[in-house]
Amino acid sequence: MSKQIKFESYREMPIRPMTLDNMLWNETGSWRNVKPVYDNKVSPCILGCPAGENIQHYIQLVIDKKYKEAWETIIESNPMPAATGRVCSHPCMGKCTRGDYDEAVNINAIESALGDMGLDNPGWMRESEKAKKKKVAVIGSGPAGLSAAFYLARGGYSVTLYESEKALGGVLRWGIPEYRLPNCVLDRVIESILNSGPISVKAETVVGKDIKLKELEDSFDAVFIGVGLMESRKLGIPNEDCEGVESGLEYLKRVNSGDNLDSSKKTVVIGGGNTAMDVARSALRKGSDVTVVYRRTQAEMPAIASEIEEAEKEGVNFRFLAAPKEIVAEGGKLSKVIFQEMELGEPDESGRRRPVPLEGKTFTMEVGRLFTAIGEKADLDGFVPEIDTEWDLIKVSGEFGETNSKNIFAGGDIVTGAASVVEAVAAGRKAAEKIIRIFIGEADPPKQEETEFGIENINVDYFTKSNRTLKPRISVEEAKNGFEEIFRGFDEQLLQKEVDRCFSCGVCNYCDNCWVYCPDAAIVRKDDRYEIDYDYCKGCLVCVEECPRSALSIEEEGK
Amino acid sequence: MREARIPTEELMGSGHLACQGCGATIAMRFALKALGRETILVIPACCWAVIDGTFPHSAVDIPIFHTAFETAAVTASGVKAGLEMRGDFETTVVAWAGDGGTFDIGLQALSGTAERNDDIIYVCYDNEAYMNTGIQRSSSTPVGSWTTTTPVTNYKKRPKKNMVDIMAAHAIPYIATASVAYPEDLIRKFKKAKAIKGTKYIQVLAPCPTGWKLSPELSIWAARKAVTSKVYPMLEITENGNKLTVWKDFEPTSFKEYIKPQGRFRHLKENEIEEIAKGVESSWQRLLAREKMLASIPGLDT
Repeated sequence: MSKQIKFESYREMPIRPMTLDNMLWNETGSWRNVKPVYDNKVSPCILGCPAGENIQHYIQLVIDKKYKEAWETIIESNPMPAATGRVCSHPCMGKCTRGDYDEAVNINAIESALGDMGLDNPGWMRESEKAKKKKVAVIGSGPAGLSAAFYLARGGYSVTLYESEKALGGVLRWGIPEYRLPNCVLDRVIESILNSGPISVKAETVVGKDIKLKELEDSFDAVFIGVGLMESRKLGIPNEDCEGVESGLEYLKRVNSGDNLDSSKKTVVIGGGNTAMDVARSALRKGSDVTVVYRRTQAEMPAIASEIEEAEKEGVNFRFLAAPKEIVAEGGKLSKVIFQEMELGEPDESGRRRPVPLEGKTFTMEVGRLFTAIGEKADLDGFVPEIDTEWDLIKVSGEFGETNSKNIFAGGDIVTGAASVVEAVAAGRKAAEKIIRIFIGEADPPKQEETEFGIENINVDYFTKSNRTLKPRISVEEAKNGFEEIFRGFDEQLLQKEVDRCFSCGVCNYCDNCWVYCPDAAIVRKDDRYEIDYDYCKGCLVCVEECPRSALSIEEEGK
Repeated sequence: MREARIPTEELMGSGHLACQGCGATIAMRFALKALGRETILVIPACCWAVIDGTFPHSAVDIPIFHTAFETAAVTASGVKAGLEMRGDFETTVVAWAGDGGTFDIGLQALSGTAERNDDIIYVCYDNEAYMNTGIQRSSSTPVGSWTTTTPVTNYKKRPKKNMVDIMAAHAIPYIATASVAYPEDLIRKFKKAKAIKGTKYIQVLAPCPTGWKLSPELSIWAARKAVTSKVYPMLEITENGNKLTVWKDFEPTSFKEYIKPQGRFRHLKENEIEEIAKGVESSWQRLLAREKMLASIPGLDT
């Protein structure tokens, strides 16, 4: 504006009017009545993950081939992605916005691929923090215990891990067959956790028997109980204790320990959950003719849908709407089971329709072996009466697993009843973080704000429909003849193909749209972010409209 | 930050005088990113004569020659000739005119330039009416549209003039249509035009929220839906008019969806919309048939 050019004579002057300066004096921001602001939301997948894994973030890191950073992002909230990536019921994928467009992103497979990379690169694990004086006892080495131990040890606190069995892993080792989670993978997962910091293991030690809870409480600064549910529920019908009737969980444990079992008989599994599927498919692999009997229909089965599907493919028979009424034993040995036929009645408190017996309708089946898989219950012997219980589970008062005893925390199935591996991992981490906060006198963090996000927040014009990339697998024929792992991990090509499908809901992933389309060139592209130059932004909101993922919001001026 | 999708050099700055959500400024921004600093613009009377700013300021960081309404093409020819006389064969000269200055008022000069095959890029940023002077109809205004000179009681009944066909009849080396909704495609076409000698004609759909009675944030949306509803086909004509390439790789959307948020079409009744949509479809089919026909003539595209 203030630039002056002096001419000595008219001859020096240009023959045409010449531009002297740009238009930056004209601050068109004053035309604006609304303004766009960058405003990242929390992606639905993250809210859907019980462990709160920052899924959106690690997927974007994978796109940039920053595999180590992606793995580190998972490890912040889950120390065993190689395990959960194989066995998790992936509620995150149920929340994936892409599910309302074509098919949810295969987050589970991405997680397991990253988990395997982490196992292959032990150097990725950062050193634990400087050793602290306080120490913690962790009871149980299942997902909850391992998770608690990991986050405590990572913080520099020494952990003593108590396990009643010889080998660590809890339900991961004894409750999940090798074709879903091979022992060799589990061993490496556990090894990586044990190597992450000062953890010492006391195996074959039962708290309550070999050492009292009180002793632990006295000699440690805090105690975490994550023992899970170890006992199978009983059917409560006559002759249940005869030979040939066994708890499904016991059977899985024997299979996983490599026992060679006689399987030449007709096998019936009672139940409709994941344990029932695991038992049925394990027995099938041992050569049995297997029928799963469930008192409701397939729609009500609590097992992961893909597990039911695989069981069917492998040749497991299903008999729905029937429940065992009486076991007929001959000479103390199982021979027949009398089943009561059922129908579905009104929905119960779980929202599933209640099975109601059909009066007078029964049938009898010749059965060689009967496995019960109708749920598990807690063994609370070591903890009562010191710890308060409720519904035969440990009672906790807050979201971090605080029990009635000041320094004792609990988490996982022993608190929630039968739930999932990932929920146990989350509970272990939350309790560990709470224990650390108590040690250092820090307040709890504010709760994560839940934002509503749906397909209406996605500008679908920027995406093309595609199918979910599936994990490679061995054939059903190969699968049912042994315990080889069925699903294989993604290689880099498949991984890149699948991460590319992520919408990155509500979170800027530097797609450039806002910057590209700004009619006023008022968006500045910095090294790590975009900035809106409000001196010139006229508030047209093209950037908000064209953002494929609602990472910008609108603010009214003058408010 | 990931790698930028389009060139990061900004030759069009902030502070210009365009309305909110102006498609014509987006077109200019992309075009200059493609052409680079060694470019001279020739701008006749049109929105951009105003958008650029008040004398002695300019929102564009390269020389602009402002000229009379009907003379964009021939002035550009002259600028090019002048540069060549001074030994500059490198600088790209671009005539940058609106649809009024192209389809109507500048047609004669453009036809002359094209016939001589003068080495310029002629860009028509098409906002489908005389927007700068207050939304009067041009021969680019689509059938069914309201303007201040075609009020809703007597909306435009004649179809948009097929300017691309007129240019193709001149057998010039390169003709393309582009849309501000597809920046990579637009930039590719401008780069391609820059590398070709002779008259190049690029017609860019540049929505005008003010004149279309469209909410400004929907500017790019409209530029995209115009293409996917087949109203504004993306095409290239090369080999001196002998080869036609139409972009077909998109998910088709409905004509009705495209016109719905545009106030300029609000008066249309269901049957009128259907009638116009039929016209859109037949134009599209004719275009595809021509593409096929030209491709089927042996030796034509060499």
